[in-house]
Amino acid sequence: MTIGWNAIAIDPQDGVAVALRDLSPGDEVIVRVGGKVETLTARAAVALGHKIARRAHAAGEPVTKYGARIALAIKAFAAGDHVHVHNIKSARARKESV
Amino acid sequence: MGKVPSEFLGYARPDGSAGTRNHVLVLSVLGLANRAAERAASALPGVLYVGTPYGRGQYGDDKTAHRDQLVGLCRNPNVAGVVIVGADRGALEGIAHLAAASGKPIRTVALDDTHEDSLDASAIAIRHAGDLAHAASRLRREKLPASALFMGVECGHSDATSGLVANPVSGACVDLLVDAGGTAVVGETVEWLGAEHIVSKRAANDAVAKAIVDAVLRREQAVARTGQDLTGNNPGAENIRGGLSSIEEKSLGAIAKTGSRPIQGVLALAERPAGKGLYLMDGPSFSPESLTGFAAAGAQLMLFTTGAGNAFTNAIAPTIKITGRPDTARRLVQQIDFDASPVFEGREDIVDAGARLFELVMAVASGAATWGEIHGEGAECFTRTGASM
Repeated sequence: MTIGWNAIAIDPQDGVAVALRDLSPGDEVIVRVGGKVETLTARAAVALGHKIARRAHAAGEPVTKYGARIALAIKAFAAGDHVHVHNIKSARARKESV
Repeated sequence: MGKVPSEFLGYARPDGSAGTRNHVLVLSVLGLANRAAERAASALPGVLYVGTPYGRGQYGDDKTAHRDQLVGLCRNPNVAGVVIVGADRGALEGIAHLAAASGKPIRTVALDDTHEDSLDASAIAIRHAGDLAHAASRLRREKLPASALFMGVECGHSDATSGLVANPVSGACVDLLVDAGGTAVVGETVEWLGAEHIVSKRAANDAVAKAIVDAVLRREQAVARTGQDLTGNNPGAENIRGGLSSIEEKSLGAIAKTGSRPIQGVLALAERPAGKGLYLMDGPSFSPESLTGFAAAGAQLMLFTTGAGNAFTNAIAPTIKITGRPDTARRLVQQIDFDASPVFEGREDIVDAGARLFELVMAVASGAATWGEIHGEGAECFTRTGASM
């Protein structure tokens, strides 16, 4: 990797960033946000392409990526946690949503 | 990046359309006749076989949609001539009549004609296909404008890099084609779910915006009625492995394939666009079915983005495989036609990669082979919209 960051937040408002390489617990994560970077510490393994929390979320809180809601948190998680199907769920895919 | 190419070398068809390929097609329109048709096509090098497993016991919208797919594939500009093979002459003539509107040569063989002798039907089909191949070989490519191109845009085995890189790069390429006066279509209605508020804002008018929102709602309700959860199906297992957690997340990445130009309309499966520009197709999310819908609507070329890799290509329209994932590009050297991973690695921007992809589109439109064509991956997959009687 020739660049100075290993994760990217697609929209500055996003609650999650996307890992640009495989991250291990304890890794320093340098997140590119627009023209700037911010840092956090990975609390879990996050594979390339997977999401890492930029901030803590409470259960039930919307999770945003691309500047839009992608899911709801089904349990609380902290900044640096892996964010995936174990802690977030589609708000549209369920039978009761219609 | 310099100026993008504005012309390609294609086959001018009698109806004014432009082929990027010059296929002679042996098409079975009924499951009963598939082997007769396939045997004939396999006897002649370079002749393309397509068959459907269906064709009887269908009614209503499902019957119409099936016929539209068959007729649409015959009319596709990449097809120079067609031998249509079926069982009863009446049904065959109906399809042949609609296909003949393209002005290209159409021949028919019915099992009726040979008193149900499948080998005799194959022998007749071989002679017909031989005539058509002889005639097709005398056609020459000529310079045609990019505005004559109609490109289908698809994704399969997407992961989180698709929404970040391969889909936006394809979108940038779609913008270049639309700006050149060409046409593009993106399907898979379920993959607008969760992003319809963004997509519908790009509709050319209120009626199109409503058609987009309505199409998503119909699919969402249809899935909900089954009592199924979309998660696990869409996103599927390979999407989830790749980091996609929900249909909304997948959709927000998938819509990047549409680029940024206004959406002119929502097509039904296999429906030909009425004009130029960007269209959506209200169609199935399984990519083989979606691609057949595009080909039947007249698409002469496809873009197909992937994360983990996906070998499937359309039979009639060359299908350009694109990934933004560095390890996929390195691993699947004879599958990935366009490596967008320099964008992932921060070495190229999306607009430049889109222009580079557009150059490949024009080269493939002019005859450069895709890996899928070299390996013979192509197939057609027909969509059913209802159960058989």
